[in-house]
Amino acid sequence: MEKLSFRFPATQTLESNAHVGVVGSGDLEILMEPSEQGYADVTVRTGTTGFNQIWKTVLERFFSNNDVSAIIKINDFGATPGVVSLRLSQALEVGRNAGYAKK
Amino acid sequence: MLDTLKNSFVECTGRERARVLLDKGTFRELLGPFEGLESPHLEPQGIVPQSDDGVVIGKGELNGNPAVVISIEGSFQGGGIGEVSGAKIAGALEMAFEKNKSGNIIYPIFIFDTGGVRLQEANYGLLSIAEMSAAIVALREYVPVIGVIPGKIGAFGGMSINAGLCSTLIITREGRLGLNGPEVIEQEAGIMEFDSTDRKRIWNTIGGRQRVAAGFADIEVEDDISSFREAILSAIQQGAVERPRSSQVERYLSFIGSVNTSEVLTPQKVQDLWAESNRYNSDESSKVTDSSVIKIKSRGHRWFNLLTAGSKNIGVAPSVLCSDAIIGGKPVRFLAVVPDESSRFPRARSGEFGLEQGWMIAKHIRDAIEDDRINEEKRAIIAIVDVPSQAYGYREELLGIHQACAAAVDAYASARLAGHPVIAFIPGKAISGAFLSHGMQASRLIALDDDGVNVHVMSKQSAARITQRTIEELEEATKKVPSMAYDVRSFEKLGALHELISGIKADEPAGADRDVIYKSLITAVEDIQNSPRDLSRRLTSNFAKEGGRSASIIVRRKLAEQWY
Repeated sequence: MEKLSFRFPATQTLESNAHVGVVGSGDLEILMEPSEQGYADVTVRTGTTGFNQIWKTVLERFFSNNDVSAIIKINDFGATPGVVSLRLSQALEVGRNAGYAKK
Repeated sequence: MLDTLKNSFVECTGRERARVLLDKGTFRELLGPFEGLESPHLEPQGIVPQSDDGVVIGKGELNGNPAVVISIEGSFQGGGIGEVSGAKIAGALEMAFEKNKSGNIIYPIFIFDTGGVRLQEANYGLLSIAEMSAAIVALREYVPVIGVIPGKIGAFGGMSINAGLCSTLIITREGRLGLNGPEVIEQEAGIMEFDSTDRKRIWNTIGGRQRVAAGFADIEVEDDISSFREAILSAIQQGAVERPRSSQVERYLSFIGSVNTSEVLTPQKVQDLWAESNRYNSDESSKVTDSSVIKIKSRGHRWFNLLTAGSKNIGVAPSVLCSDAIIGGKPVRFLAVVPDESSRFPRARSGEFGLEQGWMIAKHIRDAIEDDRINEEKRAIIAIVDVPSQAYGYREELLGIHQACAAAVDAYASARLAGHPVIAFIPGKAISGAFLSHGMQASRLIALDDDGVNVHVMSKQSAARITQRTIEELEEATKKVPSMAYDVRSFEKLGALHELISGIKADEPAGADRDVIYKSLITAVEDIQNSPRDLSRRLTSNFAKEGGRSASIIVRRKLAEQWY
């Protein structure tokens, strides 16, 4: 297992907590909590080691397109970069739409 | 717009399943992902945890009826039960029991999607599963405990026993229910016994349709959300079930008794036998075995003979010994499971806990409950535990070994609730499903401090195969995590033992050893007579409070805070 941390500057706060995904094969779980710190603070725990550079690239790209000040925890179980980006977008949508509920 | 597409329940995540069963807008999650209650045992082993530890507890209403839904996320670690996930489930069932007992009806709905104990937390899973069983048996008196097996993983291992305790069991065709998963049977008993790649055989043995037809589940449902809701509602309307499956000892004993074990057993044959068992009258099993003529083959057997001190064995099956005695002025019934070389079930000849053992243990306990019904002093029930494993076999699964285990669990728990002091005395092996069925429902566990006393959930070979580690890696991990170790000293640190007795000749016990054990048993009986009839002692012992069960305790406390 590997633990990675990243920080990206941000100005807009999230409306509410957001939780998406599961720590299951090819998937990941994301928890987003609003933060006043002016950063997107990302902690990644992943069972697939040796992919630091790819995480950095995927997250940099996401947070350069999306301005969000939040504490973000990612629990990964071998998700591909495409799945990671999709889940991040999903989490952001949930967190920006307070009261939104699936189904 | 006409909605003709079905709404799959199986395809939902654990959280969505809990949400969609409840009336719109009523779902409220307890101990959700932001509570910071993940497993403390996974990260040290290099495994990524999940924020809710794979269990969702949702409160709400189902057609206006107050309900609590317990939903296991099968995608996370195969739905395996660890300390936190186990405490969430057991805690929710215990809360539901308290509420119903005090007159506030709330219906428990338990969605199974689990392989059983999470092997990386091993004995924590075992302890939690026993606590869930205890709560289900207590709760069932007030409201139906409704089990649901939607499918993908199914209900296996110790959790299949809990499914077997439910008042009503709802299953899809894709749902699977069995004590031992196909891979484990193949590992333990060989590919000739069960080929884990033979899909058709698996479905015909443990699949939902077969389970309903052979008397192991109640309702088969289509994979559609509204079908699940309707089935659950019908179970709610039925009310508390007077004679749950796991208490129907006579019928299942005659069912098992009617099997011709010298023939190939087909799934269809089992369905036919089940249908006939309603009429079949069993009295063929009334011959009593004289234990003195059985050669002593196990430590448990030796201890049984020593402790019963010549009292007559009234056990009916040669592998299940039962004897009444008076020790220190107190009436007790001793029970032991021992090897029987000539058992009709070849996979249960070496002292394993199998079909006959489960139902017979249940019978002997229920007989005692019945005999003592009007007595002020209920006799103590003492399980002598030396069980190497449950029986691994094709026939065992087909004939519902999980249900036989549930019957024994149910009987021990019912005796405890009826006021019988129930004690497990552990001079030998206490492994997995066998220990859950024979010992774990006791109010007090008393073990010998000896290398031959092992407590664990699975053999090292199987555990290594299932968790995809080498045996060396597994042994390395057990050094760091006491709950994964096999020795009784490590088990003691989890706080469930009432007493660990040193200085006893476990293999060759003599009169002096007997006196020590008698004294300990008598003290335990007195202690039990002045304490609650549940398993709470395991969480209030010093070892438990000083770290052995920290997470279990915190989860329960927080659950109570959030329960309104």
